Amino acid sequence: MSDSAEDLRRWRLPRGRHGLPRELVERSQRERLLAAVVKVTASKGYESTTVGDILGEAGVGRESFYELFDDKLACMLAAHKLLVDSLEERVREAYLEEGSWTERMRRALAVTLDWFSADPDTARFTLVELTTVGPAFRPIFQAEFARAVALFEEGMDDDAPKPELAQANSLAVGAILARIYEEVVLDRAAELPRLLSDLTYELLVPFVGEEQARAAADA
Amino acid sequence: MQKHRSSEITASVLRPTTPLDIGARSRRRRIIDAIIDSCAEKTYAATTITDIVGRARISRTTFYKQFDDKRACFDAAIVHCIEQLQEVAAEAHGPEDAPADALRQATTAVIEALAEQPGLAQLLTGDAIAVDPRVIECYRKATIPAIEGLWAGSDGSAAAHSDPRLAFGQAQVLILNQIANGKAHRLPDLLPEIVYLAVNPFGGHEAALRQSQLASESATSGVAPGER
Repeated sequence: MSDSAEDLRRWRLPRGRHGLPRELVERSQRERLLAAVVKVTASKGYESTTVGDILGEAGVGRESFYELFDDKLACMLAAHKLLVDSLEERVREAYLEEGSWTERMRRALAVTLDWFSADPDTARFTLVELTTVGPAFRPIFQAEFARAVALFEEGMDDDAPKPELAQANSLAVGAILARIYEEVVLDRAAELPRLLSDLTYELLVPFVGEEQARAAADA
Repeated sequence: MQKHRSSEITASVLRPTTPLDIGARSRRRRIIDAIIDSCAEKTYAATTITDIVGRARISRTTFYKQFDDKRACFDAAIVHCIEQLQEVAAEAHGPEDAPADALRQATTAVIEALAEQPGLAQLLTGDAIAVDPRVIECYRKATIPAIEGLWAGSDGSAAAHSDPRLAFGQAQVLILNQIANGKAHRLPDLLPEIVYLAVNPFGGHEAALRQSQLASESATSGVAPGER
């Protein structure tokens, strides 16, 4: 379970008259709905999930739902954004701190694998269910891929290798995405952290060649 | 009945076995073209049977004689796309080519075919994973053993420098991203990377870089300066 999803799920208001300001109640409802859409969609699939399912899981009324979201898709995309933002924050922290590029890259990879392995529902929701929402998927995928490549580039300092391939950074992001996606689809998200060494190797080869990549992966 | 499908040169993992009469085959083909076009326009999720029969100009009854449902139709479209690309790949190189050269030529031909028919690319990279991620396993089965075979020694296997399954996924992500960017017609821009990914698993990094360089030279020569 990622911390953000965990936090969302814990956030429950006391029942009955609690006298909390309206804004706070709405915030809590919104966060409960976001946690609920992750849980329900991951188990039922986006297509079969109804707004009613989300309401039941969140303990929120229909009217409140439609005050906060236009429809099921809007709710799902809001949850997706929240999760991706939280992942980016962690990766950014690990990747942009002190150290050689190879070390930082490996740390960022470790953080990413840990994030996806922490909770299978969150992993499936973030990566797999998004592909099934219809036309909205394409611009979101494109924007998030670009964001990941930009972050990867941001951390390439003078110390970083200069690959011969023009789009080696896209290749690296593609490697991370493809491997995690596959493990999540096969319900093996929990074992992702074990792939750190292999994935480090695969990711580094286009940058530094096989020998150096092997040395860095085994380090 | 089921002749001239050039099945001798392509792998047969996914070949449908039911023989069809000529009329049924052409109706089937129209339906398949229709679902490919509809998915390209509005994705599989938003495509309805009504969209498919409307585009194919056939009745619902005819549709249901050919396919049980939308999913069965989609699966047939995937098989059709893979077969078409396998033929393109097989025709792109000769038996005398070295493995890395053969692979560069086949990859280039496939990417160019996808750029000309963006609907196929969309179906294979975007919709397929949305419909059923296991579909990816079908392409891998259709592709990786054939690639490995190019390098295979007498025992039929080749030593891997890196993971071919991962390379396949990476290529798919890059193609999907290009399509999501609305640049399906510019898929050949990705040739240096895709060729690298194709050669790297069994040919190794150095050979993959060489082929990538060759691919980028031939790709640039066909494009006006500043276009890339």
